[in-house]
Amino acid sequence: MDENFSEPGAERRREDYGRILLVDDDAQLRLLVARFLERYGFLVTSVEDGTNTREALERGSFDLVILDVMLPGVTGIEICRELRATSNLPIIMLTARSDEITRVAGLEGGADDYVTKPFNPREFLARVRSLLRRARLTNRTTNATQPNRATFGRWSLDLLRRELISPEGALIDLSTGEYDLLVVFVEHAHKVLSRDALMELAKARMPDPFDRTIDVQISRLRKKLELNAERDQFIKTVRGTGYMFAVPVTFESA
Amino acid sequence: MMLRMPQTVLGRAGAVLLGALMALVIIGYWAFRQGIEDVAVSLRERTLAERLVSIQRTIQSIAADDERDRTAHGLSSTSLEVHWSKISLVLGNANPKPEASALESRIRILQPDLKEQQMRIGFADDGALGTGATQAYAHMLLISLPLHDGTWVNFATPAVGITYHLPYHILLTTLVVGCGIALLAMVLLHRVTQPLRVLATAAERFDLNSMEKPIAEFGPLEVRRAAHSFNAMSSRIRTLVAERTQALAAVSHDFRTPITRLRLRTEMMDDSELRSVIDQDLGEMTAMIDATLDYLSAGSNSLNRPRKIDIVALLSTIVNAEKDLGRPVELFGLPHAYVFGDVVSLKRAFSNLIENALKFGTSARLTVCNAQAQTKITISDDGPGIPEPDIERVMEPFVRLETSRNRSTGGVGLGLSIARSIVLSHGGSIRLVNTFPGLSAEVTMQSIN
Repeated sequence: MDENFSEPGAERRREDYGRILLVDDDAQLRLLVARFLERYGFLVTSVEDGTNTREALERGSFDLVILDVMLPGVTGIEICRELRATSNLPIIMLTARSDEITRVAGLEGGADDYVTKPFNPREFLARVRSLLRRARLTNRTTNATQPNRATFGRWSLDLLRRELISPEGALIDLSTGEYDLLVVFVEHAHKVLSRDALMELAKARMPDPFDRTIDVQISRLRKKLELNAERDQFIKTVRGTGYMFAVPVTFESA
Repeated sequence: MMLRMPQTVLGRAGAVLLGALMALVIIGYWAFRQGIEDVAVSLRERTLAERLVSIQRTIQSIAADDERDRTAHGLSSTSLEVHWSKISLVLGNANPKPEASALESRIRILQPDLKEQQMRIGFADDGALGTGATQAYAHMLLISLPLHDGTWVNFATPAVGITYHLPYHILLTTLVVGCGIALLAMVLLHRVTQPLRVLATAAERFDLNSMEKPIAEFGPLEVRRAAHSFNAMSSRIRTLVAERTQALAAVSHDFRTPITRLRLRTEMMDDSELRSVIDQDLGEMTAMIDATLDYLSAGSNSLNRPRKIDIVALLSTIVNAEKDLGRPVELFGLPHAYVFGDVVSLKRAFSNLIENALKFGTSARLTVCNAQAQTKITISDDGPGIPEPDIERVMEPFVRLETSRNRSTGGVGLGLSIARSIVLSHGGSIRLVNTFPGLSAEVTMQSIN
């Protein structure tokens, strides 16, 4: 385990607190990531492999796990699957960009997010913050069985693979922002959501500083969703209040 | 006329077969005809000899002269004219030709009665004729046999050279059988050469990016060996390239951790100007590594999870992301177009093409349209275009045109190669067209419903 550092001077946020377990086989990287996150107020415990991960999880409680995919012995994906079987602890996977298969496997293994190496530290920090915020917001229960598919109309949203399938059976590509927004809508069907509420709920998944306003995101999402069907008004504008997802949604878990 | 040698094995074997068959037919016919002729001649000579003797005896037995003449006429037939006269029709002093003498001796052997007798034999044309009626006996073989009282029986028969018509039915049969054999042989040869064609096609289509199954080793021994060698060779090439690719990929991959460490280290730096410069360099390095890895995996990985996708939705995600970065990119055309492919790699391909358009021009314009069961995506820029001679070359890996060799537009020179590999591995095609002004990249992919 690496020594804890705390450097003053970094711009901290109110919500920057929590215990993070970092799993990576590169000692230097562990030290640097830990030092970086600690600057922002997080408490970081770092270990190098699967065995130590289990030990650390037994010994202490954590708010978030950062898992490298490529680990000696037990792979990050296996640890992730193992962890998911017993808890809803938020997990961020560290992957290599070309490793698209790993990404999918990681998400299917139950990871909440993934960051590709070499990552931009600020983007990484944003992901950590947003995942923690989301976990705290949704007040996760200990129920490990989460839905992995949502259907509305003749559309289907794969929550594991993050894929939207149109009634024609075609994959409709969504940006991260559009996907996150759609998930918020689907999870809050038939509820009027104000711009602020949407922002708050979806921002948790939108760390991209270049993201447009919520209206632009919604108009893009509408375009992708509704041009395919005959004017299915999936996302309705509620004058003066906000938006509402006006289709019944069914959740399934395989 | 120069006959061109057929180029295919089938053609050559066919030509050889045809030649052999023709030789067989000609030689066979000649031998057959020779045999028939021999039989016919000997049969004819035997009959002739017998008739000579019997007619001679018949006339011998008759006493009255006019009776003799009449009998002679009565015994005549179309093939043998018989006359009785006091003198010999054939001149005794004529020098007989060798053929005539040979015939004479053969007749004497065939008919022992004639052995001891005097016999005059000759051809009318050779001046053997005693009378002046040369014209009447033209081409005739003349034989004169003496009777006991010194008179003569004269025979005239058409010259020995037997003329008979070509046996058309035999020729026809031979021709039909020959054609039949040739046809059958061609069919069989076609089958025998099939593995060769399979081999040739496999060699033509050999592509490192597509994992094709080894070709079937069948057919004649030599062809089986060739197919086996081809399979062995292609697997050696694949292994070799795979090893190199893996090595390169491993190195590129291993760069990620040190770059990540550097990024974290710069984050701790106080000098923000220096930090941003280093960040920029690291970003460039990352881009190069990513491009190399993309290039290495572009062909092979892209169809791991092919599926029906809405290419317009995919393009609008890319276009929207570019717009969010404040770049002038617009998407026009069909509201939907479905193709079969892999989202991640197609996104990479089109991102590369759009990046390229923005690198050399000030704006990019995308159009999606349908053309005969094909979806055509055009990415146009308003840049300077590419000199016509270089237009093919720029899609080759690591090729950068001299004009782009500066920091702002530089790069590894893999963007177009990656895009091309991905599009090709999706069964599509890509070409660059100068549109004056600007350049258009036209991607064509098979549409699905």
